[in-house]
Amino acid sequence: MVKNGDPVLRMRAITKRFPGVLANDHIDFELKAGEVHGLLGENGAGKTTLMKILYGHLQPDSGEILIRGEKVEIAGPKEANELGIGMVHQHFMLVQNLTALENVVLGIPLERPPLLDLGPARAKFKQLTKEYELELDPNMPVWQLPVGDQQWLEILKLLFRDANILILDEPTAVLAPQQAEQLFRLIRRFAQEGRSIVFISHKLKEMKAVADRITVLRDGQVIGTVDAADAQPSQLAEMMVGRMVFLERRSRPPRESEQAVLEIKDLNCLNDRGLPALKDLNLTIRAGEIVGVAGVDGNGQRELAECISGLRKPTAGSIRICGQPIQDVVRDTSLLGFVPEDRHRTGLVLGFTVAENMVLKTFADPPFTRRGIIRWDEVHRHASKLMREYDVRAPDPMVLVSSLSGGNQQRVVVARELSGKPSMLVTSQPTRGLDVGSVESVHSVLLRERNRGAGVLFISTELSEVMALSDRIIVMYKGEIMGELEAEGADVNTIGELMLGHREVLESQVGGAQ
Amino acid sequence: MKERTKIILPILGDLVLTGGRPVLAILLALLAGSAIILIYGSDPLQAYAAMLDGAVGNRAALANTGVRTAPLLLGGLAVAFGFKANLLNVGVEGQIYAGGAAAAAVGITPLPVPPWLHLTLAVLAGFLGGAAWGLIPAYLKAYRGVSEIVITLMMNYVGIQFASLLVHDPSPLAKPGAFYPQSPLILPSARLPVLIKGTSLHAGLILGVILAVLIYLLLKYTPFGFRTRMTGQNPEAARFAGVKVRRQIALVMLISAGLGGLAGTGEVLGLKLALYDYFACGLGYDAIAVALMANANPLGVILSALFFGALRAGAGKMQVVAGIETPISQVIQALAILFVIAIGFGESRRLARRLRREEEEEEEVLADGG
Amino acid sequence: MEGSFAALSDWLAASIRLAAPLMLAGAGGLFTERVGIFNIGIEGAMLVGAMAAVWGSLVTENLLLATLIAMLAGGLIALVHAYLTVTRRANQIVTGAAINLFALGITNLLNTPLYADFKYRPRVELYPVVAPAFLQKIPVLGPIFFAQPVIVWVAFVLPFLMAWALYRTSWGLNVRAVGDHPHAVASAGLNVFALKYAGVIISGLAAGLGGAALVLADLGLFAPNMTAGRGFAVMAAFVVGRWNPVYVAAAGILFGAADALQLRGQTLGLAIPYQVFVMLPYLLTIALLAGFVGRTIAPKTVGETYDPEKL
Repeated sequence: MVKNGDPVLRMRAITKRFPGVLANDHIDFELKAGEVHGLLGENGAGKTTLMKILYGHLQPDSGEILIRGEKVEIAGPKEANELGIGMVHQHFMLVQNLTALENVVLGIPLERPPLLDLGPARAKFKQLTKEYELELDPNMPVWQLPVGDQQWLEILKLLFRDANILILDEPTAVLAPQQAEQLFRLIRRFAQEGRSIVFISHKLKEMKAVADRITVLRDGQVIGTVDAADAQPSQLAEMMVGRMVFLERRSRPPRESEQAVLEIKDLNCLNDRGLPALKDLNLTIRAGEIVGVAGVDGNGQRELAECISGLRKPTAGSIRICGQPIQDVVRDTSLLGFVPEDRHRTGLVLGFTVAENMVLKTFADPPFTRRGIIRWDEVHRHASKLMREYDVRAPDPMVLVSSLSGGNQQRVVVARELSGKPSMLVTSQPTRGLDVGSVESVHSVLLRERNRGAGVLFISTELSEVMALSDRIIVMYKGEIMGELEAEGADVNTIGELMLGHREVLESQVGGAQ
Repeated sequence: MKERTKIILPILGDLVLTGGRPVLAILLALLAGSAIILIYGSDPLQAYAAMLDGAVGNRAALANTGVRTAPLLLGGLAVAFGFKANLLNVGVEGQIYAGGAAAAAVGITPLPVPPWLHLTLAVLAGFLGGAAWGLIPAYLKAYRGVSEIVITLMMNYVGIQFASLLVHDPSPLAKPGAFYPQSPLILPSARLPVLIKGTSLHAGLILGVILAVLIYLLLKYTPFGFRTRMTGQNPEAARFAGVKVRRQIALVMLISAGLGGLAGTGEVLGLKLALYDYFACGLGYDAIAVALMANANPLGVILSALFFGALRAGAGKMQVVAGIETPISQVIQALAILFVIAIGFGESRRLARRLRREEEEEEEVLADGG
Repeated sequence: MEGSFAALSDWLAASIRLAAPLMLAGAGGLFTERVGIFNIGIEGAMLVGAMAAVWGSLVTENLLLATLIAMLAGGLIALVHAYLTVTRRANQIVTGAAINLFALGITNLLNTPLYADFKYRPRVELYPVVAPAFLQKIPVLGPIFFAQPVIVWVAFVLPFLMAWALYRTSWGLNVRAVGDHPHAVASAGLNVFALKYAGVIISGLAAGLGGAALVLADLGLFAPNMTAGRGFAVMAAFVVGRWNPVYVAAAGILFGAADALQLRGQTLGLAIPYQVFVMLPYLLTIALLAGFVGRTIAPKTVGETYDPEKL
């Protein structure tokens, strides 16, 4: 019998590689009985991959897992369930057309096979929901349940199987604050019952509220494990976010123009789940400046970028580029360039060649099309030129872009978006998943554009590069701009506090920017 | 000279790259076919030689091959073109009827115009008739997001029955007192010219080849073709690049259906010379197979249709000489496609993965040094 | 008046008899779409099943064995489809089309050797009519329901059995889940591949059974391409019947009525050409899919390729 305090789970030297990215790099992770262990890190840090390995969805390339001191092979979720491991995934694993009860019993061997006898299961459902104070109707089809209830249902599934090791992946993403509180109370109760919980999140505040210990992951590696009680938010932020805490601040000529290239007024929009993502956002960017957007991922940055690039329709407010409304100019490469966060989905057509991707927006204009016919020689010449300029490493422009590495693919996108010398450039997480060399070149390019006179909106969760590259920094939290500061001489702790939503920190500072 | 090679070589390269898999599959299918032939107690080599003779051995054979190739070529183009925009047009069968009916309507009506114009109008009508059959699927797919697969499949049935309606009394298109339900004969001024005197080989084949080349050029060299390919590969990115995706999907579906209509037009104006009840006999479904063998490459469709056509034409001779019945050609075709499917896409993905891994290794080395 | 009543009764009886293959193929066929696989090869499986039924009857002279052989043939065809689409992850439409082509070719080819031992093509033994005479003589209902070969009764019973399997067993629950959300089913510890294979194979067995019904109900002879697109009508029945075995079978009756109408077209002397009636079920299907009439709730992932790694 495992006593409270003994490690119930040990993951040793877990390594997992995907094409182009090392998701888990020799990770050691330990979970004690009755403990709530937080797994903290940015998107892409490797937290979900690690837990998917634990739950059997993925197999590690190397490393081992020990449950209660014994080495185990977890071939799939079936074995994981048998070992008492349960997982609440980031995306709901609920069959919408089935009832709550049917979803819960899925995969659980019932009393009288092959009959689906739901009677005993229904009784157990009601008993558990009563015991844990969850209000759920077993007979309601899932598609009719509000999103918060669907989350409780996911947790109920784990209780039904009496899971001993519970993995919760970003469980508060769809919960209102009061519901999140209820969840934390539940988690603490589970821990008291002797269950062990792994709590994945990228939100510092939550971690501190619910976890006993916190392990921080970054770029597939364990940065450190700390006791939650002792950890400082800024310390955690630093562990989570900084590749190197201080990047050399780049020198630059002062901004000359006062002309506004981007004017956003009272912008409101919804995210994919239908919840408000941006609230009355106002922002002005002038020619020749880089405005960096700092903030923990998921606070509206993506939606902001999508609104500006025309991919998302705002519910209210206006966006103007060089005085013109956004809908009119979205495809005009001399006005707007956009390097999206998800280059595979929006930025590139993987089945096309490098050359074709270079002219994705401009293929119908001269000199690429003359008299209705595409001149491929012009296209290839243009592409070769851009490939040289932006150091895209590929044998020739006729190679399929899907065969390039991530860094080179990003360079293609950047090259294309900048080729029209746009007045306004929006880049969202441009260095995500890139090697050091590619990061360097992206930074140089952004600075060069700024010096040319473009306005640059630079969104990144890497605080160090935001601070190094920007002229001004705005911090986003829950769809609003918490504060705005001059990047020169900005204090990282102030920014950290703003990232956590503590607006007051600016008001208390002497000479804080408006 | 150099200019020309710059254009020809990539086209050849295109064909070779897409041709490797199907050629292997065809060889495997022929091998499997010889097993069947052996079971029948005949000599495979003799049987295939007879098939070859029946397909290309003399003028009559070539004409036979050409006649069978024409509708497969046009139908195959319809499916292939739709596929470029990621649309699965399985409704060619219905479009053949719709197009054939429209062409027949114009073809049996005397018009006070010179013959070449009468023919042109009839062909045009055939295209529009097929496109009309694609209207509902186009609208539903583009603007309502309804899958075109089941819709076009259903439209096949509606098409068959609609054409049947047209050749039964009291339709104006029906030939009164006919032994088998049909329209009156197509007027000589609206018939497709015969290519080889004394045979049924009609200009529908030429039309198909010309269209295949045009579609290839369209896809590769025009903005419309670029937009089509973009929409088929990544509609999200296409939207980002400013393509009106919904309009593009609808247009491609309409054109694809129109091409299907031309397949029926060729049969009616060139081969059958009238609209007959149930005249398509599965051509629309064969067209899907033709397009697949060619990996949806329009120029490849020419070769693929020729292969199918030759196989069907030669089967008759093979029956006479080796005693194997004509359906063997269908079996070999089907096996060829099944092999193509089974062989899979391995090649291109593996190549891409290898290139990327080499890049990563290069970067790791740089990172360590940097 | 008498004459038209007799014609009507005759049409209804024929409708039921012609519906039987569709009902059988439909009640089991929907399982393939329930697990998320589009199987247009049901047409080919039915055709192969029909020929296998005749061959089985000629060889064994036993109706039950012949029926089982037909089912087996359909199941084997479906197995090929399952392998190519589930394991090799090929495009489901293209695979189905290829299978249909193969089925057509192979049955055409074997058509002559099938009857090689006979001078004149014999009609094989048909399914017997088992209702006692007094039941058959009941006015109206008698000829329509009771004077039918036993396979028709099977066609009325099977949908309820399949419905029981789908809604009352835990396996059926898994099937209903996997077509909607295969990843949820995987994370519940179940084998998604096994479920998909099962669904496709069941559709093949049912299609084979439908083929047997087609040929052994009152024809007794195999004719090339005798399914004539009924397999596609079955797929339309899935939509009209909302993927519920009983409703799909009911939809099958609708299509059977259209089929019977087509064969009796001229003799019924209708004001509207019979082709219009034949078109109606298909137009209905289009309308349903377009969302004009009610709401179709297709299994969400039909046609999509399942990739276990892409959660």
